[in-house]
Amino acid sequence: MKMKRKDVPAEIPTSSMADIAFLLIIFFMVTAVFSATKGLEFKLPSNEEDNRQAEQEEAVFIKVAADGSILVDCKPMEIADVLDYLAPKLQRDAQKPVILYTDPFAPYQAMISVYDVLIVPERTDRQLAGDGLPPQFGWKVANISVPTQTEIQDYIGIFGYNPFEAQCEG
Amino acid sequence: MIPTASMADIAFLLIIFFMVTTVHELDRTSVNLPLAKSREEAEKGSAIVVLNMVSDGQYQYKFSDGANQSHLIPGPDDLYLEASRLTAVRPNQQFIIKADGDVRFEKIDELLDNLRKADVQKVLLLSQQATEGGGGT
Repeated sequence: MKMKRKDVPAEIPTSSMADIAFLLIIFFMVTAVFSATKGLEFKLPSNEEDNRQAEQEEAVFIKVAADGSILVDCKPMEIADVLDYLAPKLQRDAQKPVILYTDPFAPYQAMISVYDVLIVPERTDRQLAGDGLPPQFGWKVANISVPTQTEIQDYIGIFGYNPFEAQCEG
Repeated sequence: MIPTASMADIAFLLIIFFMVTTVHELDRTSVNLPLAKSREEAEKGSAIVVLNMVSDGQYQYKFSDGANQSHLIPGPDDLYLEASRLTAVRPNQQFIIKADGDVRFEKIDELLDNLRKADVQKVLLLSQQATEGGGGT
């Protein structure tokens, strides 16, 4: 008896390929996240005693109040005016410290808004230099001090009161 | 009949796109980040500290060492232990603070204090892009 030979097609079956592909697409679409890894660089001082060199008399004192309003050297000021106030001081003394004291009850956003403004001159001039253009500001806030509670407690231990809170009183 | 011959090509093209652009996020906590204009890119492998307000007066703290997925930590004091372990091995480790813009600054201050105690020097305050009109993107 003669057996009939069955013809096997010499092709890889690809009919399900689109299904697999779309399944993978859906997986990657669901798991994909847009990376949000940008923010404000912030340098913490090293944890050494002799590092507290920002003397208040010489420094520009910026206080962020609990309601988010700001006082610069004890004068109420809009955030937009801070750089104009700082410009002549920092042009005279590039190392002049700026103390940014935030009330513990102030929203984090209020502190960020002020800190954001303080780093504008450095960042703008760096970008312009990268493009081969002359600087717009020509000065930067090189020395920003943000006192933390530990430092404040140390000051309270020395003075018997919070010097940052007392700065603009009386 | 709609021609479907190129469908697989298109699909594989999309797969490659998603494979290339997908980032393995170490923390997926949804946080209402503060707005800022002058933002810098975080260093690769930065540790992440998450502070999220879950309800009025209730806060959630998370920590990632920059290599593993973030995990819950009981409070800011535990951050000191986690950060100390990391800075003992990598003194120049950058720490990202991912915190809600509405939290009181005292909570951020606690984080900064504990990081400082752990000899951390490089911190990045994670923010979202503020537009000229004052809103976020």
